[in-house]
Amino acid sequence: MPGVSGVAAILIANVLIPLAIAIFSSGFFPYKSLSSGLARFEDKEDGFEAPFDKVIFMVVDALRSDFVYSNTSGFVLTQSLIRSGAALPFTAHASSPTVTMPRLKAMTTGSTPSFLDVIFNIAESDTSTTLAFQDTWLAQLKARGGRLVMYGDDTWLKLFPGMFDRADGTTSFYVSDFTEVDNNVTRHVSNELLRDDWSAFILHFLGLDHIGHKSGPQSPHMFTKQHEMDSVVGELYAKIEREEHLQSTLLVLCGDHGMNDAGNHGGSSSGETSPALLFISPLFRNMGGSRLQSPIDIPDDFQCYKSIDQTDIVPTLAGLLGLPVPLNNLGVFITDFLGMWQSYSQRTRILLANAKQLVRRLQQSFPDFKFEADQDLDSCTTEPPTSIHEVQCAWYRVIDLIHHTTNVGEESKLEPALKHFLLSAQGVLIRAASDYNFQYLILGIGVMTLVVLLLLPDVYKILSRSIHSGSFLAGLIMFHSGMMFASSYVEEEHQFWNWVCAAWLFFLHVKVTSRGPCVPSGPEFIANAPISILTVAKQGTVGLFATHRILRRWNQTGQKFAAEPDIARDFLPSHLYILWALVTFTYVDLYVRLSSKYRSYRLWRLICIIVTATAFFFKLGSVVSDSPELLGDAYKEIFKRVFDKISLITLSRLVFAQLILLFLYMFHARKESDRGKPSVKSGMPRGVFHELLTLFLMTQSRTTNIPLFLMFKLQAHTFASMNLSNIDLTITCLLMQYMTFFAFGGSNAISSVDLSNAYNGIDHYSIIPVGLLTFVGNWAGPIWWASATRHIRYRQTWQGKKAHITALTFHIATSLLCVMVACTALRTHLFIWTVFSPKYLYMIAWALMSHLAVNLSGEFS
Amino acid sequence: MSNNNGNSGPPPAPKSQPPVRILPTKVARIYSLAHPAAVLLGFAVRFPNLVHDPISEMLNAIPFLAASQVVFTIICLPPAGGSLEAAGSGSSSSTSSGFSSGSSNIILRPGRPARRKGGSGGSGAAGAGVGGGFMGGLGGKVIPSILSLILTALLATPVFAILLVLFGAPFTTHHAQTALCAAHMALLTAVPLVYVHGVDGTVWKEVWGASRPADAVWGAALGTCVGAWLGAVPIPLDWDRPWQAWPITILTGAYLGFATGTLLGRSRWLFGKRLRFTDEADTVENKKTE
Repeated sequence: MPGVSGVAAILIANVLIPLAIAIFSSGFFPYKSLSSGLARFEDKEDGFEAPFDKVIFMVVDALRSDFVYSNTSGFVLTQSLIRSGAALPFTAHASSPTVTMPRLKAMTTGSTPSFLDVIFNIAESDTSTTLAFQDTWLAQLKARGGRLVMYGDDTWLKLFPGMFDRADGTTSFYVSDFTEVDNNVTRHVSNELLRDDWSAFILHFLGLDHIGHKSGPQSPHMFTKQHEMDSVVGELYAKIEREEHLQSTLLVLCGDHGMNDAGNHGGSSSGETSPALLFISPLFRNMGGSRLQSPIDIPDDFQCYKSIDQTDIVPTLAGLLGLPVPLNNLGVFITDFLGMWQSYSQRTRILLANAKQLVRRLQQSFPDFKFEADQDLDSCTTEPPTSIHEVQCAWYRVIDLIHHTTNVGEESKLEPALKHFLLSAQGVLIRAASDYNFQYLILGIGVMTLVVLLLLPDVYKILSRSIHSGSFLAGLIMFHSGMMFASSYVEEEHQFWNWVCAAWLFFLHVKVTSRGPCVPSGPEFIANAPISILTVAKQGTVGLFATHRILRRWNQTGQKFAAEPDIARDFLPSHLYILWALVTFTYVDLYVRLSSKYRSYRLWRLICIIVTATAFFFKLGSVVSDSPELLGDAYKEIFKRVFDKISLITLSRLVFAQLILLFLYMFHARKESDRGKPSVKSGMPRGVFHELLTLFLMTQSRTTNIPLFLMFKLQAHTFASMNLSNIDLTITCLLMQYMTFFAFGGSNAISSVDLSNAYNGIDHYSIIPVGLLTFVGNWAGPIWWASATRHIRYRQTWQGKKAHITALTFHIATSLLCVMVACTALRTHLFIWTVFSPKYLYMIAWALMSHLAVNLSGEFS
Repeated sequence: MSNNNGNSGPPPAPKSQPPVRILPTKVARIYSLAHPAAVLLGFAVRFPNLVHDPISEMLNAIPFLAASQVVFTIICLPPAGGSLEAAGSGSSSSTSSGFSSGSSNIILRPGRPARRKGGSGGSGAAGAGVGGGFMGGLGGKVIPSILSLILTALLATPVFAILLVLFGAPFTTHHAQTALCAAHMALLTAVPLVYVHGVDGTVWKEVWGASRPADAVWGAALGTCVGAWLGAVPIPLDWDRPWQAWPITILTGAYLGFATGTLLGRSRWLFGKRLRFTDEADTVENKKTE
């Protein structure tokens, strides 16, 4: 791009980045084309007698298989039902993304939802993804004249607007609430059980998921919650057994997804994809079949009892309730329930209805293949070349058996043939690549390439000015870009930043040491700085190394080593005195720094005390309510009593209000001093803004992460004393931003998004504040370092700032470009939805929020 | 890497030791090439055992590695205690007689009489009395080699262990592996360094600042460290191979780096050059901003 350089290039590049993201995203996350309308029985023959006419569908959010089936489970009564044969247990494989909305879609339509649903799951206010006009078992029940009632997660109300005759929604994103959210569901249960006007009664409990998000699967709250859920099952079962009008009612207990060891979900680890599923009815006891053991030992992959796909719920429910299988279903009838029908023809009819529906799906997805024509089986005698051919052959075999059943012996072959066809068809359909809009993908990549080319000449100039740091940055960008194509390196990205950061610290060490007594920045520096600063700079690298090493162990993240012990999850919770000493010291240190900026004012000191104390008090309060295990047993009760009367929301609002007021005052004082009013001490210390920001970030961080800020300060102090050149500061800023993002426990998996502080000061879900607080909570490290390095560079000229912005923009542009290319090139890769797409979403956050909103706007304030 | 000659460098290093040359004997020249190859070969042969049982294999290999490093230093390198200059002057006077490193850019300190020790003088003077010179120097070589082994065990190994941990080695587990890995790295780097430089403070300051001029010894040390650093790259891959376990890849990187560094350090393109990171552009830029 000759002719465009300098400011214009930076400006155009930063305008084009969001544009490229928008174009690429619209191509990468397409709406799936689904058939509309409702499935019908084509002729009378397809219908069959159904053992049930009502269903109670009880969803317990994040009910991982072991929560029900293990020895330590609170589901005692449910386990006795399994032993008696009244409950049939399964592990229902939930495919990624393992978040509520797509999982509900899978459990009602039987189709695998697109990744876009994850975003809509977070942007919950969106209503364009409703299932009101799609074929679901709810719609089928409704079409049959049944009434639907729903209590629990209001995602159901958003998915099915106007479908429910009675409903009461609870919000799923307010994760601090463990009890109220479920009491709001339970209180309706006994009333609804008295009525007989409904065909489907849906319950969706959120408390267990909230406990997981807040304090993980090993939380002390978990057992009581499981016990509470068990008693709901017990009540429902007792009524079904006893009440006349509930006699043919089926009870389904299931989780929409599981959770990982940290209590989060969204990814595809075995814990997240293995929710429990139970079909419960007294009628199942007469079905025969072997009695199952319960409780059982949980295997490492959480696959307890028979493993099925989550979509299988849909045709199974359709079969048991006598409904046509919904049009977009990919599920397969669970054959264990065939025992409910005595007649052989009834059984095959059910499987055949399922098979015919899957054939229609196959024809939609693979228009080139014929499934109707009565072809001969000769072509199938040889090994089928592809899986779709195999499905085709399986179907021909089924047709062949139907048309040529002459004797009884032949008839018994039909059922296994149907089962074989159903399973292979399901496999093919689930694997079938989703349809991307390829033009948009290429266009997005094209725009991004333009951005990179646009900045290339300027970046080359900047990098060639200092050969070593320049080549370091160039190497860093190239390495990081190349990594985006390898799934394990995307999962373990923190390793890369730690690895490079260690090398960079060594580089700085060598650089500072080799300066010797002759400091290259000239006599000016020596004259102004005390000798100690030079020693700090020289020996400081050792301190930097030590703190860096502690930082990287603070939170284990990624995939491969995520379960290994770390400081925040293992060491600190078992050494509470150290934790609280560090946290308190961090707050005290902050107060000292804040108050020392304005030494002469006593009032200022008082204000500082109030602000830091309120912030600390709020943190303490949130620990008491969310993670009491971080308080010793001795203090738990005392603090509980103290915080019983104080609303945490009010407290957090107070913290935010104080911070905002101080920010405003600061800007005012800044302006006054600019005008030269003598009333204000000349030049409002710029450090105040940074310290206030630190306090805000601490409020938005997990308690166990708060001591990190102490270490950051040490590191920033050392970096400042090193008197680094511009390019070195840019590299330091970049490295520390990425390194600390991961040190806070971040990773490239959706499940590691930390929601624990997203609701500070907010009492209901609203996308903008919650989104902002979530971003701040997860990007606290990068935001801090943006501000800290800005603080170190305060004397930088416009020229230096320009170089800084250019380098950062270039880095974000190249990484984005590479992620886009990787997502396009690897769009049929096994890990596209679990590794590369989440990485792309994270890159969007890095580019739009961290780069544009934090780094760039920081330069101009 | 800017091209700075041995002692025409910056003012802070007036007493800087010049880069070390391989002894000009025929045995030394041949063995100095064979040694890195032999070490690498030995490592490659034992690699399956290393993967199978890292701790005992690393432990069992230590005596062999130590012995081979001592033999290498005794045969190929001038011992500490002044014979450096002897080797140096020998090299400059025998440039014409086909020295392997050729006419590199080393400048000897002018006006300093080259101290010579024992028979090594004979070897340096003409580069002809090969066998005799080597045998005669053996007595003066035993003490430096013992010293180098002691310092390697007592000082270099703990330092490397600390460095490994700082660079990301497991801190709470795998202590034996880390310590043994550090011992191997120390043997590869510190034995020749101590043997050649003794306890010369300026040299060790340069080592600490990574600013020694390139030679076989410093090249080996730097190569070992860089190799070990690069050795971390395959660990995060999800291949689930047994060799991805700590510290096998690190050690492999270190050995490869050792061999490469030894050869590169003495090559005619790099010999005598230093890593220097303070470049003029930075300084100018800094002044402008202040």
